[in-house]
Amino acid sequence: MQLISKKTLLAFFLPGALFMGVFMIYPIFKMAFDSLYSFDPSGIKEFVGLDNYIKAFTNESFLQPLKNTIVYIFIAVGVELILGTIFALIFERNFKGNKVIRSLIMTPLMIAPLVAGLIWKLMLSSQFGIINQLLVNVGILENSNQILWLADEKWSLLACCFADIWLTTPFMMLMILSGLQGVDRSMLEAATIDGANWWQKIIKVKLPSIKPVLLTALSIRIIDAARTFDIIWAMTQGGPNGSSELISVVIYKTLTRYNKVGYASAMALILVVALVVFTLVFMQGLWNPKKKQTV
Amino acid sequence: MKKKKINIHTKLIVVLAVVCAVVWLFPYIYLISSSLKPGTEVVSIPAKFFPTVFSVENFTGLFKRMPVFDYILNSFIVAISSTLIAVIFGALSSYAIQRSGAKIATFLIIIVLCLKMIPASSIAVPIYELITKLGLYDTRIALIIVYAAINMPFVMWVMLGFYEGIPTSIDEAACVDGASSLQTFIRIILPICKPGLATAFLFTLFLSWNEFLLSLLLTSTEAKTFTVGLSEFLSAYSMDLGPMCAGALIFSLPVMILSIAAQRFIVQGLTAGSVKS
Repeated sequence: MQLISKKTLLAFFLPGALFMGVFMIYPIFKMAFDSLYSFDPSGIKEFVGLDNYIKAFTNESFLQPLKNTIVYIFIAVGVELILGTIFALIFERNFKGNKVIRSLIMTPLMIAPLVAGLIWKLMLSSQFGIINQLLVNVGILENSNQILWLADEKWSLLACCFADIWLTTPFMMLMILSGLQGVDRSMLEAATIDGANWWQKIIKVKLPSIKPVLLTALSIRIIDAARTFDIIWAMTQGGPNGSSELISVVIYKTLTRYNKVGYASAMALILVVALVVFTLVFMQGLWNPKKKQTV
Repeated sequence: MKKKKINIHTKLIVVLAVVCAVVWLFPYIYLISSSLKPGTEVVSIPAKFFPTVFSVENFTGLFKRMPVFDYILNSFIVAISSTLIAVIFGALSSYAIQRSGAKIATFLIIIVLCLKMIPASSIAVPIYELITKLGLYDTRIALIIVYAAINMPFVMWVMLGFYEGIPTSIDEAACVDGASSLQTFIRIILPICKPGLATAFLFTLFLSWNEFLLSLLLTSTEAKTFTVGLSEFLSAYSMDLGPMCAGALIFSLPVMILSIAAQRFIVQGLTAGSVKS
């Protein structure tokens, strides 16, 4: 039975669809089209077929950022997962002031990534940065110029990860905590009766039962980390020498600095396709918990 | 005996919790303390954590350096308007999708999810062209409509989850009473979805307030938002880092306060579509 008439449904649907159609779906098709052309600085465009894609996958200008992005995801999301789990296990325990301390830790949650980047840039600065000064004070470094976090190719990407980790570990903690609170109490009691210690309980009972939550949190974070732009822009703008350049940064630079619309479109489309495929695969495996329960 | 052991455990946990909190708040406290230092002390070598004297020099410096109120006003107007558009149209659209009951609904839901994943950096190129062609470059309108569009999939995703939980028998009952579809939606469905609306609204508001890349690309002087204003300190000399801290603080303080006050909704927003209740 059709409760609401088709006309009404369409009227409800269209305004929103129009917005997304114009500013999200049309751009994707436009990019797919543009990516097949090469644009002259004078505005003349020439059909080049798949050249832009071939260029992307054979040229360091895309492969390096691609590698950086993957490294960035591994480091940032990996550390966030570990720290988030530890935090969640700490805050799972009931103690006085639990909620207050938890709220304090969650304050970075909605801070603009740009601001997070700026704060960390200030803290990691080699001469007047507080981090190096602290490291000198505790005796790890001899002088504050020893590690140039933002100016050294070895460290720049890691330095950007710090800001990301600070910003989103609270999110990991929240997700995992909500999972932990849903762990079956009777299973934990059974484990206690069987003589399991706290470590065994974590490894054998808690972590396996929150696996779906862990995987979901991971997927969300991987997608987010793959799109990081603001943090990098604030801290290094991709430098030095492209060592901290992520895909989103190189797309932006290719467009604004080099004005290569075709090449930028090709790279952007690769990123979009990768993310959409990842999302769909992740959905197949996780999104439908009902299906899993019946198996 | 056993009780004592548990007590020690709990104490240890509390200590750990406090250590975590201190480490996590450190960057923020450092930002606050830096913004209250005299300008020269922000870049003093060696770095000091606390200011030796309190000073509002950085704040006056900030106001001298950029039209703070204009930027805040732009950010605020753009964030509020785009959020309202996204929430109103997003709620309507997703209701239509959810209640259409057709096979096409599943397809549309997947499209919405995919759109939610698309990074702004990747579609920035055509959006820039489109806005320029429409003659909207460097206007608030441009930012409002673009933000509304890119945040709409998120709103729809949140709302879809809520509509799913409302049995169609409620729509039917209202229909029998002679209410029009729009009346049913506004008077009956939306009130049930209040928590969802709050989540969608607050979260979208934060996203728009914090947005940087598109604003950087689509504005130059008139409609410049606060994030873009802040980013201009990046190219400045280190002497300007003090005012930068002051700016970052002014910009983030409302976000911090709001996010603590509305924590429940933020948590829901962050986990939207992942933990299906």
